[in-house]
This record gives sequence, structure tokens and C-alpha cells, in this order.
Amino acid sequence: MTSAAIVHPSRAAHWQHAVWRMLPALPFLAVLLGWSLYWWAARPSAATLPPVGAVVQVIGELAGDGRLAQHMLASLWRLVLGAGLGIITGVVGGFLAGLYRPLAEFLNPLVVFFSALSGIIWLPLMIGWLGIGTALAVFLIWNTVFFIVFQNTVLGVQLVPELLEQGVSCLGAGRLEIIRSVILPGALPYVLTGIRSGLGFGWRALIAAELVGAPNGLGQMIFNAAEYHRSDIIIAGCIIIGTIAVTMDRWLLYPIERRTVQRWGLNADAEKEGM
Amino acid sequence: MSTAAPAQIATAGFVRAARPSPLRGLRILLPFAALVAVWWMIKIGADLSDEVLVSPPRVWAAFTNLVAHGVLAEYASTSLWMIGFSALLSMLVGVPVGFAVGVNRYAARALEAFLRFLQGVSGIAWLPLAIIWFGFTHTTTLVVVIYTLIVPIIFNTMVGVRAIPESYVLALRSMGAGRLRLVTDVYLPGALPSIVVGFRLGMGYGWRALIAAEMLVRQGGLGDLIFGARTFNQIDRIIVGMIVIGCIYIIVDRLIVQPIENMTVARWGVLRK
Repeated sequence: MTSAAIVHPSRAAHWQHAVWRMLPALPFLAVLLGWSLYWWAARPSAATLPPVGAVVQVIGELAGDGRLAQHMLASLWRLVLGAGLGIITGVVGGFLAGLYRPLAEFLNPLVVFFSALSGIIWLPLMIGWLGIGTALAVFLIWNTVFFIVFQNTVLGVQLVPELLEQGVSCLGAGRLEIIRSVILPGALPYVLTGIRSGLGFGWRALIAAELVGAPNGLGQMIFNAAEYHRSDIIIAGCIIIGTIAVTMDRWLLYPIERRTVQRWGLNADAEKEGM
Repeated sequence: MSTAAPAQIATAGFVRAARPSPLRGLRILLPFAALVAVWWMIKIGADLSDEVLVSPPRVWAAFTNLVAHGVLAEYASTSLWMIGFSALLSMLVGVPVGFAVGVNRYAARALEAFLRFLQGVSGIAWLPLAIIWFGFTHTTTLVVVIYTLIVPIIFNTMVGVRAIPESYVLALRSMGAGRLRLVTDVYLPGALPSIVVGFRLGMGYGWRALIAAEMLVRQGGLGDLIFGARTFNQIDRIIVGMIVIGCIYIIVDRLIVQPIENMTVARWGVLRK
């Protein structure tokens, strides 16, 4: 009997469940509704605020003639290059500095200073050195991702309890074996946290860099649209930029991080409160 | 929340327990001295022209020049006023909104995905639209920076309120506490560490958004200073501007944000461990 009740929940519970599932869509619908109503009532010029339909249409157009794919690929390629370089150099450098404490102490003031400077602040100087284009954007993303990954890796390596290292050492492990089986997995959750927040900053730095420092890419697409007062393209671009960022974070980085923390995390309750 | 915590600790510097000793100042200055030496060697060794890289004394000269004419103070004060106003407004509006959303589980469920999406659309992406709406004015910059700051503050306040164990609320209620008492004794102290995390993240994003917006809006501010100097290939001015930007961020973070964070964690001690 009870099993039947679970398979066929009452109408009210079912309804309640459906409402609960649909709640996240509510603000998006409210914005669309408000926007449509405002447009219908005030009739602003299309350059100021386009109707909802125009934005949908322009996304279709941009996707149809391949321009959207081209801009997206340009941006994503820069992100992959810059973030890839940032992650590799950050993890390797972070491990070296984490394992060799005098090096970490020497570098600390420089790292604090340059992480305060990271990202878009380098743009004016680097435009002169690297010119406008992919190299500039890649540098800015590398610069943003590197410091966050580096700092988190150092922290992760340093926070591995010495007791664990000594334990494995007592069992006869050499230095390399300790690094491989204790420090590497112990630091991994921090490394991944660093990568996740680094990409959050990196994606922002990329869009900002592309506004002036690139011939194509999503940032250039929206900045160029501003010159022609094409706010439909700008809004379409913002929607795409947000969707890519959320997709990257929720469906790629967050699951990886959660699994790593569950598998190797040193504090047992960390995974249940992940945001 | 703890997913954000390691990054927070990390940005605060990764060498724990710096011993206070007379050598400490030297230990901070030595790496910079080494860096300046390398820079100077590259400048002389590769024989770079002043349009590519200037020597350290040239930067110092530009710095004293900018200070003497009051130019630096003017640009810096514009930026500081912008970030200060934005931070204040974002806290005054963002925290109450975050609370209102956080205490109701339906509201929290409804807004979570939306706020995540807004956080994904960085403030600077709205800049082109803001330029169309408000022109090349301070309003445009403020809109972008406030947007950048307020979203993480609302989001983290909400997360902080949601993370408070319901038993605390129920316990106080069963002892007869009213709504106000619940806010002052449970919600506020419980959510405070998370609010501070959101504020630091917002400041990190917001300060960069401000510099980027100033570069494009060109109505004063340190971003305008360094981007304007680019037009005339004044590398010395660019480097002065960058150093000032870095120093201001460190000072704000170390002297204002971090002490507040330490205070809240020490006072309320909600962070587990």
C-alpha cells in the first residue's frame, strides 16, 4: 500500500513538486514579461531597447550565417589556451613553491602584488608588446588564472597534515612516493578550487580584453555592436556569455571539484555544502 | 561555502605565521629589488627603446611628476570614490535583499539559478549597452561596477542564510524569540562570514571591472590614466598607474576587507574546524 502511494503521489503533492521544479524559471520569465510589457507600453527605439523577438531573431541570424560560431570559437580557443597555460604553470610552480618553503617565502610578496594587478590592468602595457589579437587575450587570461591556481596549490600542498607524510614515510616510502601518494591527492581539492575560481576571473578578463584588444570574439562582437547601436546584438551576446559561464561552472568544473573533494578531500563534510 | 573558502585564504597570502622581526621589511623588499634589477638589466641588455620599456628611474620620475602636478591624486580619487560608493551601495542594498531571499526557501530556490546566470554575465559585458543608455559618463561606470559587486553579495548572503541549521532557528523560537531576535542572534551572525566572502569576491571582480570600464569610458580614473598613456606610448605613466592600482587594491584588501573578515570569523566563529 505504501509503495503504491509513492508511485502515485497525491495530486497536491505532484503539483507542489512541479511548482518546486519550475521555480528557477520564474525570474527569467518575469524579466521577459517585464521587458515585453515595458516595450509594449513605452515603445522605446530599437537602439535603446529592442523587443524580445528581435533578440531571438538576431541570435538566429548570427547562428545562421556562422558569425556566432566564429566569435564563440575565437573566445573559447583563447580561454582554453590561456587557462591551460595558467593551470599548468600554476600547478607546477605551486607544487615547487609549496614543497620548498624558502622559495614560497621569497615569492610571497611578489605574488601578492601581482595577483592584485592580474587581468585587465595589463592591457595598456601589453597592447604595445603583443599587439591586438589572440596573444594579448591569452596573456591576460594566463595572468589571471596563474596567480589564483598558484596560490591555491601552494596552500593545498602546505596544508597537507605532516602526520600523513610521516605515516607514509614510516611505512618506508621515499620522498617521491610521499609526493605522489600523499601530497598530490591531498592538495588536489585546493588545486581544483583554484582552477574553478580562476576560470571565473579568467572568463571576465577575456571578455574585457576582447572589448578593445581583439579583432573578433564575443567581447568584440558586443563592443562593435555598440558603435552601430545594435542593442539586440549586445543583449544576445550577454545572454550567450552568461550561458557559457554557467555551463562551464555548473556542468564541468563543479562536478569535477565535488567528486575530487569527496574522493580525496581531507575534511569529510566539505562536499555537502558546496555551492 | 567552503568551496569558496580555500580561495579566500589563498588570496590572503599563502605563507602563514609571518614572524614579526626587523628582517620582515627586508624580506618583503628583497624580491621587489630583485625584480627591479632584472627589469633594468633587460632594459639595458636588450637595448629597448623607451616606447617599449622604460628604465626604473624614468618610472620614478614620472611618478614624482604626476604627484607634483596633482594628476595622480585626481585620477586615483576618482577611482576610489567610484569603488567606495559602489561598495557601500551594494552592501546596503545587497545584504537586505540576500536576507529576504535567503529566509524563504521558495524565494531562494527561485532566484538561485537567476543569480548564477547574472554572475556569469560579467558586469563588463553590459558596458556596451550601458554606453548606449547612459553615454560615456560616470553613470555608465557606476552601473557596471555596482552590478558586478552586488550580485556576489546577494548570492553569498543568500547562501549564508540558507546554510544556517534550521535547529538553531527552531531552538530560539521555542524559547520565545521574535522575528527581530532571530535576525540579530541567528541569521546575522550565521551569515556574516559568507557575506564577507561575497564582499571580497565582489571587490575582486568590481575593482577590475572599474579599471576596465574607466579604460573605455575615458572620464577619469586610473584605468583612463593608463589607457590614455597608451595612446601616446607613455610607458612610464602606464607602469606608474599599474603600480598604484596594485598598491590601492592591496591596501584596501589588507587594511579594510581582511580585518573585517578576521573579526567576523573570530567573533562569531561559525567557520567549522
